[in-house]
Amino acid sequence: MKEKKKKKILIADDEDNIRFLYKEELEDEGYDVCLASDAEETLAMAREERPDLVTLDIKMPGMDGLELLGILKKENNDVPVILCSAYGSYKQDFRVWSSDAYVVKSADLKELKSTIKEILVSSGK
Amino acid sequence: MLDQKLSLEILKATARIASSTPHLDQILSQIIDVVKNKMNIDACSIFLIDDAEKVSLKAFSGYGVDETANLSLNMGQGITGWVARHKNTLALREAMQDPRFVFIPNMEEEQFQSMLSVPILREEQCIGVANVHTRDKRYFSPVEILVLETIADQVAGCISNALVYAKNQMMIKELSILYDVSLGAQSTLNPELGLWVILSGITRGEAGGFNRAILFTVEDGELIGTMGLGPDSPEDAQRIWTELDGEGKEYQIAQKMISEEEKDEYSKSNFNKFAKTLRYPLKENDNVLAEAALKRKIVHVENCAGHPLVSDEFCQTFGVDSFAAVPLTAHDEVLGVIFTDNRYNAKPITQTSLHLLARFAAHAGWVLENSRLISRLVATNRELLSMKDRLIETEKLSALGRLSAEVAHEIKNPIVSIGGFARRLKDKFMENHEASQNRQEEESALNYANIIFEETQKLERLLKDILTYPKTGDLNLEICNPDQLIQESLDAFKTLLLGQDVKIETHIQKDLSPALIDPIKIKQVINNILSNALESMPRGGKIKVSVYLVDSDKDEEQSFLTIHIEDSGGGIPDQALDNIFNPFFTTKKTGTGLGLSICRKIVENHGGTLRVENFKNKGVGVFILLPLKNSRDCTKKEHPSDGRPEIFFDEQT
Repeated sequence: MKEKKKKKILIADDEDNIRFLYKEELEDEGYDVCLASDAEETLAMAREERPDLVTLDIKMPGMDGLELLGILKKENNDVPVILCSAYGSYKQDFRVWSSDAYVVKSADLKELKSTIKEILVSSGK
Repeated sequence: MLDQKLSLEILKATARIASSTPHLDQILSQIIDVVKNKMNIDACSIFLIDDAEKVSLKAFSGYGVDETANLSLNMGQGITGWVARHKNTLALREAMQDPRFVFIPNMEEEQFQSMLSVPILREEQCIGVANVHTRDKRYFSPVEILVLETIADQVAGCISNALVYAKNQMMIKELSILYDVSLGAQSTLNPELGLWVILSGITRGEAGGFNRAILFTVEDGELIGTMGLGPDSPEDAQRIWTELDGEGKEYQIAQKMISEEEKDEYSKSNFNKFAKTLRYPLKENDNVLAEAALKRKIVHVENCAGHPLVSDEFCQTFGVDSFAAVPLTAHDEVLGVIFTDNRYNAKPITQTSLHLLARFAAHAGWVLENSRLISRLVATNRELLSMKDRLIETEKLSALGRLSAEVAHEIKNPIVSIGGFARRLKDKFMENHEASQNRQEEESALNYANIIFEETQKLERLLKDILTYPKTGDLNLEICNPDQLIQESLDAFKTLLLGQDVKIETHIQKDLSPALIDPIKIKQVINNILSNALESMPRGGKIKVSVYLVDSDKDEEQSFLTIHIEDSGGGIPDQALDNIFNPFFTTKKTGTGLGLSICRKIVENHGGTLRVENFKNKGVGVFILLPLKNSRDCTKKEHPSDGRPEIFFDEQT
């Protein structure tokens, strides 16, 4: 298999340890990972680092993930965004529809990883 | 001979007597005493005429008449009768020579030679006769005649007074009886006691005075005998009257007419038992009781034989020829009928007693209505109370739900990181495991990490259940292909089967029509039940999943998509079976006990049912029944361009 350029994933989550966990896991999977702890930082990183995919925590202090999703999609509709949340009730919120996927947070990152993989493949990146 | 002075003395004395007391008997006997002593005569008597036109001796002095002799003449009979009829005074020197004279036994009138007889007139009517007799043959002077006539007028005035007085007394008595009865009936909230009070008012001698009374109440178009008060037999009647006589004339109906003990005694009587066996249809022109109820009038039957609405059987049942029935009404509604008669003393039912009866009936109507209202009030109250309890319970649960959802959410993030890193630790150890020098130590460290990871998994499951529980109500309905839905559920489940000796067998009916369901929630249900099945078979087994349509036995249009999941896990123990749907009940070491209760809630929110069949020592069968009515009314249409089915909803469904 030919070595491809590493995909870059931007992780936005206000919890330090969760961010760290995601970073470790996704780096093990062979991704480049950059981190953001709030909405402002996420927007800055997204412009600067041009990630291939963004994971957004919905519940963050200040601007929440759903609002942030809107801005991200407005700026660049091509970057897929996965919403991550501690619970599934946001699935009913219509704003969720503009995201590419919705994953409920779990210590087991299998679902997140496979979702990332699927989206990257289907978006042809 | 009577001089003017004496005449005035006599009249003064009689006038004083007349105004001294309202009691007629006393007045008459005192007047007779004055007349006999002062008028220089030998005997004196006063007769009064009753409603039946009998001229009866009321007071007398100087005759040989036995005190108890009940002397009574017909109008026109003898001299007294003649005077009564012709309203004329007769003064006879030789009374026995007069053609009008009639010999009356016991009176010993033959010992008197002369007689003066004057009519007692009131409003042009003769209401009595006053007589004086002398042994010696003599004439009566005009003064004597005038005096006796004046006395007769005085007597007439006294009689008028006495009648008014008696009427007043009657009305006072009636009022006080009604007062006592209404007080007695109202002082208790027990309607039965209130009705006994009224029935006893009707039957007590000093009140209604009827021999027997039966209360009928209207129930489902029938008049049902509810209670009866009266003697069981003539002997019983005799006994009661003797007892009552012993208590004296001034017997008090009392504030409280009857006590609880008396009530029990009444309800045990044979007559009450007899009353309770009676029932008559509440139909027009059927029977006399229904007539009273429907026409809302008092019916007084004086002769059963001639009455079109009284059958022979009715007559025989009650054993009387004459009776009365009054309707009980409240708010223009007929609540029942009171039947009453005088079986044992055969006293005619008078207009007065009927009026009193109607008044008792009015009270009885209100007691019945009160009891109806009270029982309705009590029922409503009870319902309100239980509703309040349920509401409090619901509020508690919902507060708990909100709290736990909040807590659960806050806990979620730390758990994810703890679990995530524990898993990473485990993975790291695994990688280095083979090459490591300290295999033993690493193995236990690996085990520790594993434990942390597994425990956090359990916590996550618990949180997931708690977070889903309050939200099972909202459904996101979609048109789903059942076949595909089951297949997806099974695929998701298959990862759990790895390393287990459990086989899955599926039977899915072909051509299942699409169903309008929440696919995520139904998958959750299927997954939960499959997980339960798997956990019941740690040493392996078989799970059978069948999907088919079942027609409803109630509604032909309705059919159910049935998902039947059977396992071979040995079934549910008896003591657990009752609780499997209770939230937080679990037999598993790691379960939250929310699974099945959530499943049932989801299925019921779809309008379906979740049923569990337990086969002891064999396994459990779970039936998920989802109604298909909604999707059946959708019309499938082949789309001309791409051939994909399009689905249209019938607006009405």
